[in-house]
Amino acid sequence: MATKKTYFQGLGELANNPELEKFQEKEFAEKLPTEAFLSDNDKLSESSTSRRDFLKFLGFSTAAASLAACEAPIQKVIPYVVKPEETVAGVANWYASSFYDGNDFASLLIKNREGRPIFLKTNDLCDKGGINARIQASVLNLYDSARLKNPLANGEEASWSSVDQSIISGLEAAKTSGKQVVLLSSSIISPATKAVIDRFATKHNAKHVTYDALSVSAMLEANSDSFGVRTLPTYHFNKADVVVSFAADFLGDWLDAGHGKDYASKRNPSVATMSRHYQFESNLSITGANADYRTPVKASEIGVGLVNLYNFLAQKAGVSSVKVAKSGFSTQLQKAANDLWKAKGKSLVVAGGNNKDIHIVVNAINDLLSNHGATIDFSIQSKLKTGNDSDVTELINDMNSGKVGAVIAYNVNPVYNLARGAEFASALKKVELSVSFSDKNDETASVMNFVCPDHNYLESWSDAHPYTGVYALVQPTINPLFNTRQAQASLMSWTGLGADFYTYLKSYWTKNILGSTSWSSALHDGVFKTSTTEKTPAYQGSIDSAVSALSSLSGDSIDLILYTKTGIGSGEFANNPWLQELPDPITKNTWDNYLTVSPRFAKELGLTNENVSNGALDGDVVDLTVNGLTLRVPVLVQPGQAYKTLGLAVGYGRIGSGKAGDGVGVNAFVFADNFSTNLSGATLTKVEGEVHGFASTQLHHTMMGRDRIVKETTLDAFKKDPTSGNEQMLLATHKGPQAPEKVTLWEEHDRDVHWWNLSIDLNSCTGCGSCVIACHAENNVPVVGKEEIRRSRDMHWLRIDRYYSSDMTQEKADAEGVSAIDKFLEMEVASQAETLEVVFQPVMCQHCNHAPCETVCPVAATTHSREGLNHMAYNRCVGTRYCANNCPYKVRRFNWFNYSDNEQFDFYMNDDLGKMVLNPDVTVRSRGVMEKCSMCIQMLQKVKLDAKKDGRKVRTGEAQTACSIACDTGALTFGDVLDEKSDVFTESKSPRAYHLLEELNTAPSVWYQTKVRNKEI
Amino acid sequence: MSKKVIYGVYDDDDVILKAVKDIRAKGIHVDEVYSPFPIHGLDHALGLKPSRLAIASFLYGCTGLSLGLLMMWYMMIQDWPQIIGGKPNFSLLDNIPAFVPIAFELTVFFAAHLMVLTYLMRCKLYPGSSETSPDPRTTDDKFLMEIEAHGNEADLIAIMKETGATEVKEEKIA
Amino acid sequence: MHYESPIREPLILEDKTLHDITEDVARPIEGKANKYWWALFIAALLAFMWGAGCLAYTAGTGIGVWGLNKTVGWAWDITNFVWWVGIGHAGTLISAVLLLFRQKWRLSINRSAEAMTIFAVIQAGLFPIFHMGRPWLAYWVLPLPNNFGSLWVNFNSPLLWDVFAISTYLTVSLVFWYMGLIPDFAMIRDRAVKPTVKKIYAILSFGWSGKAKHWQRFEELSLVLAGLATPLVLSVHTIVSMDFATSVIPGWHTTIFPPYFVAGAIFSGFAMVQTLLLVMRKVVNMEAYITIKHIEYMNIVIMVTGSIVGVAYITELFIAWYSGVEFEQYAFLNRATGPYWWAYWSMMTCNVFSPQFMWFKKLRTSIAFTFFISIIVNIGMWFERFVIIVTSLHRDYLPSSWSMFSPTFVDIGIFIGTIGFFFVLFLLYARTFPVIAQAELKTIVKSSGSQNKK
Repeated sequence: MATKKTYFQGLGELANNPELEKFQEKEFAEKLPTEAFLSDNDKLSESSTSRRDFLKFLGFSTAAASLAACEAPIQKVIPYVVKPEETVAGVANWYASSFYDGNDFASLLIKNREGRPIFLKTNDLCDKGGINARIQASVLNLYDSARLKNPLANGEEASWSSVDQSIISGLEAAKTSGKQVVLLSSSIISPATKAVIDRFATKHNAKHVTYDALSVSAMLEANSDSFGVRTLPTYHFNKADVVVSFAADFLGDWLDAGHGKDYASKRNPSVATMSRHYQFESNLSITGANADYRTPVKASEIGVGLVNLYNFLAQKAGVSSVKVAKSGFSTQLQKAANDLWKAKGKSLVVAGGNNKDIHIVVNAINDLLSNHGATIDFSIQSKLKTGNDSDVTELINDMNSGKVGAVIAYNVNPVYNLARGAEFASALKKVELSVSFSDKNDETASVMNFVCPDHNYLESWSDAHPYTGVYALVQPTINPLFNTRQAQASLMSWTGLGADFYTYLKSYWTKNILGSTSWSSALHDGVFKTSTTEKTPAYQGSIDSAVSALSSLSGDSIDLILYTKTGIGSGEFANNPWLQELPDPITKNTWDNYLTVSPRFAKELGLTNENVSNGALDGDVVDLTVNGLTLRVPVLVQPGQAYKTLGLAVGYGRIGSGKAGDGVGVNAFVFADNFSTNLSGATLTKVEGEVHGFASTQLHHTMMGRDRIVKETTLDAFKKDPTSGNEQMLLATHKGPQAPEKVTLWEEHDRDVHWWNLSIDLNSCTGCGSCVIACHAENNVPVVGKEEIRRSRDMHWLRIDRYYSSDMTQEKADAEGVSAIDKFLEMEVASQAETLEVVFQPVMCQHCNHAPCETVCPVAATTHSREGLNHMAYNRCVGTRYCANNCPYKVRRFNWFNYSDNEQFDFYMNDDLGKMVLNPDVTVRSRGVMEKCSMCIQMLQKVKLDAKKDGRKVRTGEAQTACSIACDTGALTFGDVLDEKSDVFTESKSPRAYHLLEELNTAPSVWYQTKVRNKEI
Repeated sequence: MSKKVIYGVYDDDDVILKAVKDIRAKGIHVDEVYSPFPIHGLDHALGLKPSRLAIASFLYGCTGLSLGLLMMWYMMIQDWPQIIGGKPNFSLLDNIPAFVPIAFELTVFFAAHLMVLTYLMRCKLYPGSSETSPDPRTTDDKFLMEIEAHGNEADLIAIMKETGATEVKEEKIA
Repeated sequence: MHYESPIREPLILEDKTLHDITEDVARPIEGKANKYWWALFIAALLAFMWGAGCLAYTAGTGIGVWGLNKTVGWAWDITNFVWWVGIGHAGTLISAVLLLFRQKWRLSINRSAEAMTIFAVIQAGLFPIFHMGRPWLAYWVLPLPNNFGSLWVNFNSPLLWDVFAISTYLTVSLVFWYMGLIPDFAMIRDRAVKPTVKKIYAILSFGWSGKAKHWQRFEELSLVLAGLATPLVLSVHTIVSMDFATSVIPGWHTTIFPPYFVAGAIFSGFAMVQTLLLVMRKVVNMEAYITIKHIEYMNIVIMVTGSIVGVAYITELFIAWYSGVEFEQYAFLNRATGPYWWAYWSMMTCNVFSPQFMWFKKLRTSIAFTFFISIIVNIGMWFERFVIIVTSLHRDYLPSSWSMFSPTFVDIGIFIGTIGFFFVLFLLYARTFPVIAQAELKTIVKSSGSQNKK
């Protein structure tokens, strides 16, 4: 690695704690008793061994021991000359911190091993916000080899002092010439940062412009119209009995990562009222996939539908209804309206898209349903997004007209994610001074004079005020890896406040936030709550103008929806190989964005997808033109997509993001004119003779009538009989019908210490995929890249199977006498958009207690533990792959190549920096060995050892796996079934519990809970 | 002291078989017969004892079987028992079915190879052995009878001639 | 010495005398190789080297250079393994089983058939080793403690059974073959004029002199070895079939496999013997010994075993339907109508339909046609293994993991390489070894030679 690594030696040092500094300068506090050794022997015998001697012995013996223990020679030994007192080799430290990237907020606990943050989980002290795949993966961004290692002046590496000088003089120049100084940033929720910015603004009379790549400006405007406050409320999905969403992907990227958790808490059929969820949307989102009733709607029809819904409710409320054309799907709307009205005050209507009119009508509807103050809470506001679209437009105009003397871009990438990005870039030429805080030389940074690389959030001090009454702290968990500087510090130094943001932050908090509470306790908790609430504004909106605008929208043209994928989001993490390789929950494709087209429409246009000889998926390529702009994009035929509406994910087509992110997909932001994500008037022309290769981890999309894979029932049936949909299968034996697990030749082995089981609730699983990333991070699962995924060689230990329903069923075939061949051919086809149902099923090693894989291994490399775990001894494996062949769940993964230190797989495991994210507790597998889910045995081992040290039993719920920790919605329950107090014990006894492929009597240690849909049939 | 042997060359297996019988009927001991291929009934005619290779091989087979079972019992049940596929790897009896194939293979392995070794040793056949038949044609199409003479060369030659030997020669061997 | 009825057709033509046989058998060894031999040899050598290169590439880079994936963990590797092992069944079967049944016609073909067996099993043996992710650790499948520590091998694993079955089969076939060779080497030795050649064959012949006692023991030995080899032959493919039969994968988990595999093995073995002998009898002029009668006998075996295999295929389909297990039913429906239907129907045509032509004496006594069918059968048997392995794996239980397989140039290269290696060995054998068990053949000149049938 080019740069010199400096190792974090503890918080004290980051706190620039004066004692510590003194201590460090004078490394060896006490004088060494050398003369005691040099002089005569009897003195030597009585001489006391100093701390330093002890450390020498310790260091030597550790090195010796490790050298002796290791097969390969040690390349790097990191001796602690002064061991930071809180760091114990081999023991993890957890530090509370927070994540905010301008989009999602999460209060986190960061796991540190030997000073390296390698894993993170939600901080339970904070009930707001939530974790998603991107946040889970953010730890890898710290070790991104594409990060800038020094400040840049006009593309050349420079020293901070020189950069500062020229920037300050630049700012002065702008001031004297009376031109604007503009700080362009994403939404900022950090009070201290805001204070710094204010100081900066006053000094340089600068203007602060805010915009969000995934803008909700329209929603803010709508709220200021309807309520007089330009703000976002918080939504309580956990209080809503009926949820109606118009294209709001609230389980994905709609406003807040915390919605999934709240939503899931109402999806458990055993609770008093399981919520009923209607989704009206154009392209199939994970939210739609989880809905009870999903109606595919052409994007431009959504507005009219919404107004129709308003009218239905207005009738019930006895309010005058508005004039609007009848919607094409009013029956479903009527049904939704009835349910909403029944659940008045306990319901929720939400809408996506960045269209003000839509949100005005939504506000009106929620007002009719008196949801404000109930499920929609203005007293606790969300501050996550405050951006204002018009300001940016204005800024660009000002830049063009030469009014702007300096632009400082903070946590924004306008050249990339503004539709007018190119224009912005050219306008920059008219600006004398342009500075970017980007930590990469990305699209924007590369066209700016100066780049002052910001710390990664894991290296920074900061704070956050995401919601009313919720304050959070961001503390560094590692010393800065490179010669970077925190943006706040930069701003301070240009304002003449010194560069010590930590002290500033601390004093700011003690002055303005903490009150009586001590700084250190707040820092320890990572989050600080106050009881303050905002006063709830009254609804004062009118919808007439909105209605007319919406009714004019609908037309027959082809619509295009710009959406975000749970993995890539707005694209700032595009260079994170974990996220690139995370299969999209719906399409199961990786390393790509593409145009999703409904099967019917694709047929009309003669667009096809087909599998090549090795199964990999190929798609036609089209030229997509919207408002005169044309992009060449591959086509993915997407069941459930609305007819004549296309979907295209933003966040791809990055430049300068790094080796993993660059050149993946196309940049769809160019279409998002005025931040609008719903566009009309798209045209497609097929590019003849060109095909695009997709990398899909799932090639077959239906259950082929094997309904016992994912068992389903409806809420009504479940209320009548909890075992409905989960009837015990019986096999005919000489003893009469028997449950499969009864049909066995041998006695079971004792399970008397622990028996680790995992239960997966198919109702709570939203398919978000953060468990997959957590598994990657905890278990050093390699990234293999697009070509290998195309060869069906993904390495995910934990995969989330996504099945579409099919219109052909066993019953239908029997009734209509369809031949077996046709039956199966038709079963392979997913249902019509209207009738399509989707299920997610996380599948990892089932840890079968009658494991087929164990029996067939010639060298006994995979055997069973007394605690019911299916072990895999990498060192013993010779790689016959017999176990993988004989695994009915196909969860075993083979190391086809050496995935680390291999130019062919130039991802994070191929450079020293990226390797710092590896979990030292887990082997990096060599080529030619089989690997698979171990139920995070290293974590279990830790728990058992801790218990042993304290001389106690393992506490209930103490043992967890990476996936069960990562799962916000509580879909994954891990524990010891021998412990009758544990949740997993209860789950395993639940009437919904079943084993996957129980007819094989593999006796898995993983349970699934029947999927219950809240719908009539 | 050197001894004399008479070699009678025959060119038909039936003839030499009959000759051996006749000559032995005269009470003369036929020392050896060299032939290009096995002649059925010759061993009886020469009064050779039946071979016991088969018995040896049976014993070897039993050894192989028991060694095989012993090995599998020791390795999987005695020395390092493990839970594999939920199968009862703690008792030989329950595991026997899985051990049958290898037990059988080892039986055959031992029986075959040890028998062959025994055969080679008993016949003193080994790479580098310089022994050959007194007359190279005996591996082609000639049959050779060898009788040691004790002063009765003349009548031996006569007998051979009359029993159909195509040529008869007398040699001294030290 | 038993006589046989004059109406039986002679097994040795052209009134060969004992000496003629010696001459004919020695000729290829003492004479110079003709240009056909060289052409074949060079072609085979090139193929062999290409395959060796592909193997080296695989071992150096990783199994990833093959077409396998997370769903289809075995494809051409194990297909080729089973195919070669199958081929390797004819030799020992001919020499052992036919010896027990006192089938005299075995005598002029058993030597080459056994040679073929050994060479084929060598090819087969390559695959289990090189299909491993870490072939340099292949010795770990031997019952040694793990790195000479304390973890032993797993005797429950059919793969381990294979290790023992294949190695036993290879070595036993080898000694069986070699014991038969000793008297013939002696014959070459006694004719040899060049001293070096004489020396070499002297070493090879272990100092054989043809004493009566040796012959007596020799006969006993052959008989007992045959008695041992017969169950061994049957066991080998039985155990190979257990790799699949003991698994849980629909299409593999089938109790019919052992007999079905054995029949298939004999089927393909005889086909390969045909292919080779039809060539060899021309190249080293053995028409007098490998007669139409021999060819016809073997064709009959091919026809019978082929029909057995056909019955097995149909039984499989029936049981799948009858079992009522949806996975089984789909597995077999998918074979016939799924993406790999072409493999299934090539298998059916080659293995079940084509041998039926052998019901006609005219066809089964036609050399050209026999040669054609023998090739067809070998192709068909390769497809059988491909169908069993790949089409069962590529769509098993959870549709989410269903995938496809297509070979890379390395897969193909290695297969071609083993064919090359096989022919290199066989051609060298044909030039240096007595290709007919002449000593034993001489015992039947009186009973089955054409001169005695007049």
